[in-house]
Amino acid sequence: MSKKWLILSLMVIAGLLLAACGTPAVDAPVEEAPAAEAPAEEAPAEEAAPEEPAEPAMDDDTIDIGFISAFTGVFSSFGKMQKEGAELALDEYGYEVAGKPINVIYEDDQLDNEQAVTKAKKLVEQDNVDVLTGLVSGDEGLTVGDYMKDKGIPVVPMYSASEDMTMREFFPGVVRATWTGAQAQDAFGYYLASELGYKKLYQIAEDYSFPWNESGGLIRGFCRGGGEEVRSVWFPPGSTSDFSSMIASIPLDEEFDAVYYNGAGGDAVNFVKQFVELGMVDKIPLLGQSNTFEKPDLDALPTDIVGALSAHHTTDDLANAEWVDFSTRFNEKYGYDPSGASAFAYSSMKMILEAIEAMDGDVSDKEALVQAMLDVDMTDDPRGPVVMDPEWHAAVENVYIREVALDDDGNLYNMGIITVKDVSQFGPYDPEVYMEQPPDGNTYPSGVCAELPPEMLEGGGYEFVPFGQ
Amino acid sequence: MKNGRLWKNMLIAVLIIFLILLPFVAGQYTITTLIRIIYFGFLAVSTGFLIGQGGMLSLAQAAFFGIAGYALGLLGYERGVPFPIADILAIVVVLLFAAVFGLIANRATGIVFLMITLAFGQVVFAFALQNTTFLHGWAGIRGIRPPILFGIDFRQTANFYWATLFIYIIGLFILWRIVKSPFGLILNGTRESADRMDALGYPTYWIKVVAFLIAAVYAGIGGLIATYNTGVITPTTMQLPRMIWILLMVILGGAGYFWGPVVGAIVVVWLDVLISQVTERYNLVIGIIFVFTVLFSPNGILGYLDSLRKRNKIPFLRNFDRRKMAQEKESS
Repeated sequence: MSKKWLILSLMVIAGLLLAACGTPAVDAPVEEAPAAEAPAEEAPAEEAAPEEPAEPAMDDDTIDIGFISAFTGVFSSFGKMQKEGAELALDEYGYEVAGKPINVIYEDDQLDNEQAVTKAKKLVEQDNVDVLTGLVSGDEGLTVGDYMKDKGIPVVPMYSASEDMTMREFFPGVVRATWTGAQAQDAFGYYLASELGYKKLYQIAEDYSFPWNESGGLIRGFCRGGGEEVRSVWFPPGSTSDFSSMIASIPLDEEFDAVYYNGAGGDAVNFVKQFVELGMVDKIPLLGQSNTFEKPDLDALPTDIVGALSAHHTTDDLANAEWVDFSTRFNEKYGYDPSGASAFAYSSMKMILEAIEAMDGDVSDKEALVQAMLDVDMTDDPRGPVVMDPEWHAAVENVYIREVALDDDGNLYNMGIITVKDVSQFGPYDPEVYMEQPPDGNTYPSGVCAELPPEMLEGGGYEFVPFGQ
Repeated sequence: MKNGRLWKNMLIAVLIIFLILLPFVAGQYTITTLIRIIYFGFLAVSTGFLIGQGGMLSLAQAAFFGIAGYALGLLGYERGVPFPIADILAIVVVLLFAAVFGLIANRATGIVFLMITLAFGQVVFAFALQNTTFLHGWAGIRGIRPPILFGIDFRQTANFYWATLFIYIIGLFILWRIVKSPFGLILNGTRESADRMDALGYPTYWIKVVAFLIAAVYAGIGGLIATYNTGVITPTTMQLPRMIWILLMVILGGAGYFWGPVVGAIVVVWLDVLISQVTERYNLVIGIIFVFTVLFSPNGILGYLDSLRKRNKIPFLRNFDRRKMAQEKESS
């Protein structure tokens, strides 16, 4: 009996020791700024006080970047893609900028908002990070943003696409060099209506904020371009693996021009497979949202969907030198091609590092750091030229309309067909007018184009340039 | 006997003073972690009270935790109901839900009770997830902040910590008195043999319902603190993995002991923080520790200490659980 106890105690002690040993390596050095400056005793003791485990302060020069993402749980694939993209950028700099070592602290939030805030607190309170980045989902971004608002630390969302972070809930510390849910879809919707002449779309969508935003963009663009109706069916994400009834109830007799599947991940794989199995693919065209046909999910989809359209800010066959270089290096390191999520993470991390370099490694002035990020020249970004909007700290960039195609090896990939240049998160609208509208939801905007506010039907369209020109 | 009690009281006093003074020496994140230990502690105590004192394994406690948070968000944040009123109303809402669930679930015992509470918990979770009109689905309610009272800003971590610590100590004291009261003894009797208690004339059904309500209040208070702390309330707060995580705390600490869930919450939350800094596979490590605990000490950490005490290894813990001792005396 006592032997058993010995084993157990040893196990626990070993675990604790392991944790204790690891701590200093992962942790930031103790922030000694208060002591170095003036004896700021008036400040609340708990803020100035050193950390409990008084780890040996490494060189104080280290720049700490906090990275929150979903590394375990259902969405861990996105966390992995983000980490890989970011690491590629860090490798380029050898984890050192302007002579200062870069220390990235990865925190897993399992896409649980309670965890996300807790991890953000940890990074701010214990690690004293200089920049907070990562973030996969829109809600996660808004939740962490809500906490970070008054912390004076720059927040750089990577794949988190909730438009309100750089719109209605904007705060000066946020810099998003990536996208919003509606950004590509507005151009896509306009393209479907004006170029392809579609009048009616049937949307099957996951019922949460990211698809709402995608849907909002699509509906606005579609209606502005001359469409008549987008009829929507919403279902809770991850609630079913059987889409046969949803697919069977697509009203083929009502002259819908296409089915727009607004979902991603496991749901998308199941939906698309069943869509093909039930023979729908021959009866009505299939469209996807930004993530539906993204790699690596695309590899799991049947080849019958060749020709399906979607829109994103990257596409697999980009031929510009920067993308080819990025893609090759990514493939060399990890053995497969990058996805949009890893490309976005790469760009975001590179922007952070270039901004630190521009400041010569002195990141104590966080406002200046934000400005330096906005000033980074991103015209040579792998996904095409990116310009930062100085007012709303969001990216103005290319949208690619892509077609699922087969390569010579029989694998599916996204083939660019149209480039839309310099698309802002507001589409063609005036920011003021756009933000007066309620945030996108599953009831707004209305799918009946005649019911849209008249100011949302103005603003015109885009120039659609054939891809590669 | 007297000596032991003195030891114990001194130990508790020192511990409380230590906890109160902690913000002056410890880092801010340590305090944040302690706040988490307290609100998950409330939830663990709520679950552990039902298991340990009433023999009722309920999987609906996380739902009460979340319902309190949602009620606070809907009333206090969205409709601007001022501080104590919104919180009291939130607890009332929790009590209403608990009354409905409790009246139905307590008609069954054992595995059926577990399944019914599981169903209730999942219904609440799924409703919050799927209702986008006023619960906002996945996004939940965001921007909830602790109040400023009498010039004290509870948004400051230390102030918030002292407030939650105060509530926790009072809450545990009250629950301790409940457990030691005649009601607590009747509840224990119901756990051991409901039929015999019935035969003695005790309304066992109503006793279990009341215990269920008490537990729900504790889960609700934890939910309020959690919501103030994170500023958001989302469906993931109520998901099944969260509930299982809480069960892990209860069993790791020692489900049969009053202090078991308290100890379990401290250990599990702290391990989570420590191990997740080292490896992404922290759930695996915690899982292994859990398996070993269950294998070697089914009564949890406190059960282990208890067995040491019985072998006279830790003299001042002799009176750690007098109830158990009394039971043993009886049986011998």
